[in-house]
Amino acid sequence: MSELLQVESLCIGLKQTGKPIVKQVSFALRKGAALAVVGESGSGKTLTCKAILRLLHDRTFTVSGSIRYRGQELLAASERDMRALRGNRIAMIVQHPMMAFDPTATIGTQITETIMAHRRISKRDAYSSGVRALERMNLPRCEQLMNSYPSELSGGMLQRIVIALAIIHEPDVIIADEPTTALDVRNQSMVLQELKQLKQSGIGLLLVTHDFGVAAGLADEMLVMREGEVIERGTVHDVFAAPREAYTKELLEARILMRKEDRHDRDEGCIQTV
Amino acid sequence: MVSMIRRRLTGLAVVLFGVTLLSFLLASISPVDPAEAYALRVTQQPTPEQIAAIRVELGLHLPLHQQYFRWVGNLLQGDLGISYLTKKPVLSDIAEKLPVTLQLVGLALVWVALVTVPIGILTALKPGTLFDQAVRWATILGISLPSFWLGFLLLLLFTLILPVFQVVNAGTLGSLILPSLTLAVPAASAFIRLFRATLLSNLNKDYVVYARARGIRQSRIVWVHVVKNSLPPLITLFCQYVGLLVTGSAVVESLFSLPGIGMHLVNASMARDLPTVNGCVLVIALIFVLTRTAAELINARLNPKLTDKEERLYG
Ligand SMILES: Nc1ncnc2c1ncn2[C@@H]1O[C@H](COP(=O)(O)OP(=O)(O)OP(=O)(O)O)[C@@H](O)[C@H]1O
Ligand SMILES: [Mg+2]
Repeated sequence: MSELLQVESLCIGLKQTGKPIVKQVSFALRKGAALAVVGESGSGKTLTCKAILRLLHDRTFTVSGSIRYRGQELLAASERDMRALRGNRIAMIVQHPMMAFDPTATIGTQITETIMAHRRISKRDAYSSGVRALERMNLPRCEQLMNSYPSELSGGMLQRIVIALAIIHEPDVIIADEPTTALDVRNQSMVLQELKQLKQSGIGLLLVTHDFGVAAGLADEMLVMREGEVIERGTVHDVFAAPREAYTKELLEARILMRKEDRHDRDEGCIQTV
Repeated sequence: MVSMIRRRLTGLAVVLFGVTLLSFLLASISPVDPAEAYALRVTQQPTPEQIAAIRVELGLHLPLHQQYFRWVGNLLQGDLGISYLTKKPVLSDIAEKLPVTLQLVGLALVWVALVTVPIGILTALKPGTLFDQAVRWATILGISLPSFWLGFLLLLLFTLILPVFQVVNAGTLGSLILPSLTLAVPAASAFIRLFRATLLSNLNKDYVVYARARGIRQSRIVWVHVVKNSLPPLITLFCQYVGLLVTGSAVVESLFSLPGIGMHLVNASMARDLPTVNGCVLVIALIFVLTRTAAELINARLNPKLTDKEERLYG
């Protein structure tokens, strides 16, 4: 079977009110392919990503449908099996690198623990392989970086560390939730370059983005989500050339997206000054 | 770190100055004349002459600012004066009473720490469960129970119904169990609520989701990351409680007949024993300031980034 990840009729709802948030979402991800998920803020993209790794609390959310990784049903998997997959076979790149790390622990501690979560190796070996992972991302002065705290690093650096951590266990699938939104233009293109290479190396990439440019540059196929529903799907080429839905057209004209992205930038600004 | 300690030392001087000055002022506006109170303890019906003589003897005839500076001058030489009540040096009285209270408070805080950490974690990890609800109600009750009533209840229960602990024999650790529990119940209730809330807010942070997404064990996420991030407010409160419990120990000390500093201060206030009152107030203020500094130092170790920023802010 060539499908790495197969999501069928995924529904996510709020447990308390029963309000559906993500409705009947289906898609498949193949080896070496990239699937872009675009949609405005609040359309349920992040929730979908988290649901795949079973990161949603069942206190708050109900999740139904089917999520299969190499044929294994994840919604029925034990917590133990899920932990073995997370970060190991299916890795995640997060939306807000500035908030992704424990502020009281050094980067080195958090890299080391990530390596040791899936490999039986000594702390010392984990540490040195952490340094090598940072070097692979062309980060400067990696030894020093290991001893620094998240608040000492820029968003771009943190996102590169997040990417380094995502590939550290050579996963099959990477879920990248708006990997470039929090970054400035220079860092954005660098991250995109990384992701392109990952895809070429055979990883299946699920790419969530606001940005049609990013989707066009990386993805083969795309989904357009609105209010929790997939309203349009096809190859990137087809969707761009002939959007069937008026909403997609609107998105393509970038009006909504630009506005959303402005808002996001401002949000990021607030977060950074806190 | 160094600048923080310097800042604290300046703060310490300011606080002690303010607190002693205040206690002097309050004593002077009190309607009862300390010289008269003193004379009444010596003779049945003191004549005005006798009272005036005592006033001069105690230095109470001097203007207030002179009294204060004399007191501060003596203090700088390590002399807190002689108690009007016990006729012993104030410092040696305090040295005798303070350890009792510190043991009492120390033991109370041991109970607090022992219950707060596990119960806080259990309730925060599974909010809304029956256990969590039970803890919620119990802590509401614990906070609102008056301590004399709680102490009285414990006293009744353990002396009359289940005579396990020595109640009266002072000086043994056993005699401190009931009073320390009385102090610990309201404190632990407040601590559990704070710790649970802090843990919950940390459990909902992005870094927890991302740590789970990397496959890190739940136990490690909780104990290494979430607990560590949730400790600073708890430690701040914990250190504040040392001072609060020392001050508030009077009720429990009187209930369980413990010769501690709380009772000592209450007795001294009632007898208008000014040197003792001022000495006790000074010592308690010192405890407050020292524990606050301790809290800052511990938190600085837990989260080095916090202090660096603080240092930058404060230049
Ligand atoms: N913990 C929660 N409780 C209740 N509602 C939630 C919760 N988390 C998310 N939602 C709701 O679910 C919807 C989808 O959220 P999601 O984060 O998936 O959006 P998104 O498409 O990733 O948006 P963005 O582009 O802003 O990241 C939003 O309307 C949000 O209000
Ligand atoms: Mg999102």
